[in-house]
Amino acid sequence: MDYIVDAQKLSKTFTGSSGTVHALADIDLQIEPGEFVSLIGPSGCGKSTLLRLIGDLLAPSSGTLSVNGKDPHRARVDGDYGIAFQKATLLDWRTVRRNVELPLELAGVPAEERRSRADELLQMVNLAEFADHYPWQLSGGMQQRVAIARALGQRPPLLLMDEPFGALDEMTRESMQQELMRIWRDTGTTVVFVTHSIPEAVFLSTRVVVMSARPGRITHRITVDLPQPRDFEVRESPRFFELITEVREALRQREVTV
Amino acid sequence: MRRVFAFLVVLALLAILWEGYKLLGALWGGTWPILGTEMRPRPGDSSMPHVWDVIAALFAPARRNAEPLILTLFVATLYTLREALVGFLVGALVGFSIGVVFVRSLSAERAFMPYVVASQTIPIIAVAPMVVVWGRQLELPGWTMVSIIAAYLTFFPVAINTVRGLRSPEATATELFDSYAATPWQRLTKLQIPSALPYIFTALRVSAAASVVGAIVGELPAGFADGLGRALLQFNQTFAADPAKLYAAVLMSALGGIVFVGAVALAERLTLPSARREVTT
Amino acid sequence: MRWLRHRAVAPILAFVAVVGLWELVVKSLSIESFILPAPSAIWSSFVGNAATIWPYGLRTLGEALGGLVIGTVLGVLAAAAVARWTTLRLGAMPFAAAVNAMPIVATAPIFNQLFGSTNPVSKMAVVAVMVFFPVMANTTRGLAEVDPSELELMRAMAASPYTVLRRVRIPNALPYFFTAMKVAVPLSLIGAIIAEYFGGPQNVLGQYIVNRAQLFQFPDAWAAILVSAVLGIGMYLVVLVSERLVMPWHVSLRATE
Repeated sequence: MDYIVDAQKLSKTFTGSSGTVHALADIDLQIEPGEFVSLIGPSGCGKSTLLRLIGDLLAPSSGTLSVNGKDPHRARVDGDYGIAFQKATLLDWRTVRRNVELPLELAGVPAEERRSRADELLQMVNLAEFADHYPWQLSGGMQQRVAIARALGQRPPLLLMDEPFGALDEMTRESMQQELMRIWRDTGTTVVFVTHSIPEAVFLSTRVVVMSARPGRITHRITVDLPQPRDFEVRESPRFFELITEVREALRQREVTV
Repeated sequence: MRRVFAFLVVLALLAILWEGYKLLGALWGGTWPILGTEMRPRPGDSSMPHVWDVIAALFAPARRNAEPLILTLFVATLYTLREALVGFLVGALVGFSIGVVFVRSLSAERAFMPYVVASQTIPIIAVAPMVVVWGRQLELPGWTMVSIIAAYLTFFPVAINTVRGLRSPEATATELFDSYAATPWQRLTKLQIPSALPYIFTALRVSAAASVVGAIVGELPAGFADGLGRALLQFNQTFAADPAKLYAAVLMSALGGIVFVGAVALAERLTLPSARREVTT
Repeated sequence: MRWLRHRAVAPILAFVAVVGLWELVVKSLSIESFILPAPSAIWSSFVGNAATIWPYGLRTLGEALGGLVIGTVLGVLAAAAVARWTTLRLGAMPFAAAVNAMPIVATAPIFNQLFGSTNPVSKMAVVAVMVFFPVMANTTRGLAEVDPSELELMRAMAASPYTVLRRVRIPNALPYFFTAMKVAVPLSLIGAIIAEYFGGPQNVLGQYIVNRAQLFQFPDAWAAILVSAVLGIGMYLVVLVSERLVMPWHVSLRATE
């Protein structure tokens, strides 16, 4: 009952012109508040679909799902989660500040309050001085930071992230991971993070959920016992590499048996 | 600024070409050397007046003791542009509304979109004479009929680009608004319409030019003496006596079109930052 | 095929509904034909006057096609020159944009005077001017805006300028060219009809429409418009089919769904 995400026997099938696809089958997943859970797996394993089920952007075909102790639809309407995608998806015609304000504006937060909240969030992602810039004037990494700030607008208990750093170069990516770690610690929010990078999953997560394709299933759950707070040194520790190997084996094992 | 300069250079080159052709015509006595056939168009002053004669005609009185021709043409241009503007605004509004309806209702789009597209391929303007006679039957003022034609030419491009523009937000932007549980109205006003603006402005620039054409053509059979269309017909009839006047009227029509489209382009410039202009459609 | 049937049902229903409603309103309110002719009246004029309006239509079509060919050839040649010598672009592109804003039909009386209004060349000239600029502007972009990495690839293979033109620039320009043709084809018919309004022989579509409208013979005028619509759609289909034949590889033609 205390789980922020509680999925039981969840499955999702898509019917299209080319037949029926079992995107997800028999997903059981419980996430506790404050966890950082990565979903990792080959393309087509349904990790993004699972994220969208949690966000009520798609409806499950069967099974039960509760988010923040509620029906996913209720949770979405209540603004219980923030979301960020691989593309920053900022609105070109709004300044950085007004982009961050967007969810607050749609929820009817008064202008003054949302402005101060937006400035606070931009401070948090170190973009305060870019508040009046337009998205296209920012680098890819900066745009993604704006998207994260926007996702945190209503102080959601849950943050859903769909390969948010997938389009960034390696250097930017590592510093973004560092920044996300800090935000996660400071806000205490729960994160569900879709990625296809093994080191990224290991570095960020408290738990890595490994999935396989056709149909999408959870094959392994690996608890990451790296010390907190994690910093640059963690990336060079032997335990980090052991865990990477463990996740890699988990991903491969499935491939071999199929 | 550089563009205006380049435009003027091309204009000057065309004037030189024009005068050069006339000079060769005078040199060869109006027949091509070697071929021995008559030069067409005839390079003589009676069909191709000198550039300076056209400019002089603009500033000479149109009739004895009357105001200069340019003033008469200016008034005619204003009259035609007013018809075009009314039609343009009505057409843009109708086109935009239809676009919104099509995006909201897939079955409306399925049923009528093929006709909207097909109508682009047929010469809509052929309807113009009929609309005018029609208006006379209903005892409406002539200019309203002309505006209706202009509106008709405006609304198709705007409707089509509104549909494309309202559908242009990427899938993740739509999901983002879903994640906020945004209402359909919020989605329309805060995501779809802003996304559609570049598309709509592109259509408006095309439509602006079309609405001026519609106004001029609408005036041809309308039979009132105020607009550019009538001026063109009138000077066409007196061409043999005074060819420069027809050229002057054509120049003013061209200028009127450029001013009208330029105003729309200016509105676009003021509304959209440079990075969002010029969608290719 | 099933897809086609699925997509065709709604438009056909809409057509039947609109025409049916139109007929019903005209008949039940007994609206005079000089206000709004019934579809059936237009159809009977279309059939009854076929021996007149089709030859008229073909004459107008001839003017449109003549102008279309002249304007397209000149437009493509100009585009090749402008793409080859980039300084020309500086002048040509703003000029093309300005001309696009002008009501070119206003030049119709001038061309009538220059070539003689009874000479079909006078109408072709108007059409050619109208067609020239969209063709030139689009083709220039297609020839010039080539992916730099493709040019680098050709350089790496030490390709001659002719090979680059043949293998990279022309294929790149084809979609742009066809886009221009889709604009130019309806323009050519519009240009020919409007040029006819400004005077010339009577046995053409434009004059027929004006004359019948002024005599309040609206069913006849609408029948002539129907002819122009059929011609316009026919020309457009020819462009679509040749596009498919010339560049079956292009993305915009790949099956969606």
